[in-house]
This record gives sequence, C-alpha cells and structure tokens, in this order.
Amino acid sequence: MMAWVESFSHALQSTRLSWAVAGGYPWIWPMCETLHFIGMGLLVGIVGILDLRMLGVAREIVPGPLERLIPWAIGGFILNLVTGFLFFAGDPFQYIHNTVFWLKLLFIVLAGLNALAFYVTGIARRVDALRPGEPAPPSAKFIAATSLVLWIGVIYWGRMLPFLGGAF
Amino acid sequence: MDVLRAIEDSGIGIWVRESGSLWSYPTIVFLHAVGLTFVAGVNAAVDLRLLGFAPRLPLASMRGLFPVMWVGFWINALSGIALLIADATTMMVSWVFWVKIAAIVLAVVTLARIRYVLYLDPNAVAAPGGHDTVPPRLKMLAVASLFLWFAAVTAGRLTAYLGAGAVAKGGH
Repeated sequence: MMAWVESFSHALQSTRLSWAVAGGYPWIWPMCETLHFIGMGLLVGIVGILDLRMLGVAREIVPGPLERLIPWAIGGFILNLVTGFLFFAGDPFQYIHNTVFWLKLLFIVLAGLNALAFYVTGIARRVDALRPGEPAPPSAKFIAATSLVLWIGVIYWGRMLPFLGGAF
Repeated sequence: MDVLRAIEDSGIGIWVRESGSLWSYPTIVFLHAVGLTFVAGVNAAVDLRLLGFAPRLPLASMRGLFPVMWVGFWINALSGIALLIADATTMMVSWVFWVKIAAIVLAVVTLARIRYVLYLDPNAVAAPGGHDTVPPRLKMLAVASLFLWFAAVTAGRLTAYLGAGAVAKGGH
C-alpha cells in the first residue's frame, strides 16, 4: 500500500500540475486555501444544522425540507476534494509521511460511512417525518453526535497539519 | 506603533505566538475555523433558504439558528482577538485585515437586518400566520450576506499573502 502511495506521489510530483500548485503560479495555493475554507463552511455548516436539529437545537426546524440544502453541502465537499487534491499534488511528500494527514482522511471516510448509515438504516426517513418541535429518536441522536464529532475532527486534523506534522 | 508593540509583547501575545504549546496558536486557529463554520456556514444556509432553496422550510423555524450563529461569532471574536494580540504590529497595519473586519461588520449588520425583517418588523415575514414568501428586499439582503461572508473568509485567508502579513510571514 505505502509503496504504491510512494510511486504515485513520485509520478504526481513530476507533473506540470504539481509544479503549478507548488508555486509555478503563486496565486493557485492561496486561492485553493480560500476555496477550501468556503467548502468547509458549506459542508459542515449545512450538515451541522441537520445534526444540531436532531440533537434538539433549533427544534422547530422540520428536517425533511432542510435536506433540500444537502446538495450544497455535497458541493462544498466536492470543492474540498478538488482543492485538497491540488494541495496534495503540489507537495505529496509533506503529506504521505504525516500521520495527521492520514487521520484526517480516516475521519472523512468515517464521516462518510456515518452518513451512509444514516440513509441506509432508514433513520433518515424517520427524521424526515419529524414534525416541528418533535424530538429525534435516540438512534438519530447518536448518528448526529457522531457526525458533529467527526466533521469537527476533520477540521481539527486539517488545522493541525502544520503543527503536528510539519505540512502547510 | 509603540502601543501595538506593547500589545504584541504582552504575556498573552507571547504565549499565543511563541509558547509552542498545542493549546496556544494551533488550538486557537482550529477554534477560529470551527467558529467560521457556525457563523458563516449556517448563515449561508439561511441565505440559501431565503433565495428559494429548500422552499418548504418554514421561515419561522430558522429562528433557533440565530443563537448558533452567535455562538460561532463569539468563538471567532475571542479567538480572533487572541490571534490579533499575537500579531498586532503586522495585522493592525495590514489593509487586507481591515477589509476582512469591514466585511464582517457589514455581514453582521446584514444578519441583524435579516432577523428584523423576518421576525421583528410589524409586518414580519415569518410572524405567526405569516405568508412564508420572501420579498425581494430580503433576497437582496441574502445575496449581500453571501457576498460579505465570502469576502470575509477570502480576506481572512489572504492576510498571510497580501499586505503587511505577507512581508512578515512570506506566505503560508
């Protein structure tokens, strides 16, 4: 696995894309950082509202109609996937030997699995049917709390990249 | 400048900037990102509802999100002040930092205005038995809000690349 990551990183680093992100075009890195924060706000802001509602905050909100904003959260996620890949392409070796980077990826995968569990177990359908003020079932509260911890954890690992792992 | 220097070299300033503790600068910038999510991210969701996305979400039901946004705002006001103390001599003379502050002030004023039109105005849009349709002036406020938060986040990120901060840190 690690050998494959190493050779992929070598190949990636020799591309013109990597050169451009790493400073060939000096505006690319700051622009991607800005967009990465915008994507973070959209993704965790919107998912966070749904999570908080299930946990009993802003309980008048009806989750069904709120979920029409989820495409915007997915848009934020895709934006961050793209900009995140560009950071990686710019300097892969500062990430692949960095434990914090792998923890961030692990938390993203776990958050994705948690969201998947929300939909495939039918909990989402029960949450969609909640009326204003009606408490969410305990299973939904568990998923919501897990989601908040994982996404805030993703932000934590992302912010810790320069401090715990020496990446920027 | 002497005042700024004194602020920067205060106990708090030195601790935030130079202690090397995980609880100082790293944790404070982490909190600043979380606060951003809960003030600007949640506000963006409210704006999107006003602009016609999630149209069946009752406007009155969003009232409970205002305390969430205030929590995000205060996390960032406090963490921001700590970061400002640590970098007072550069940030206070950085034009892009003041663009950020101006955008935040206008964004908060816009949010207060949105709240007033939604819930407090004698003709409140989201009053009990209200009609739940969004008048054009409220849509204008939502567009302004999205633009101002985008500007605040962008200017905030660019404090490390433009103006006095770029000279101090050399980017990143």
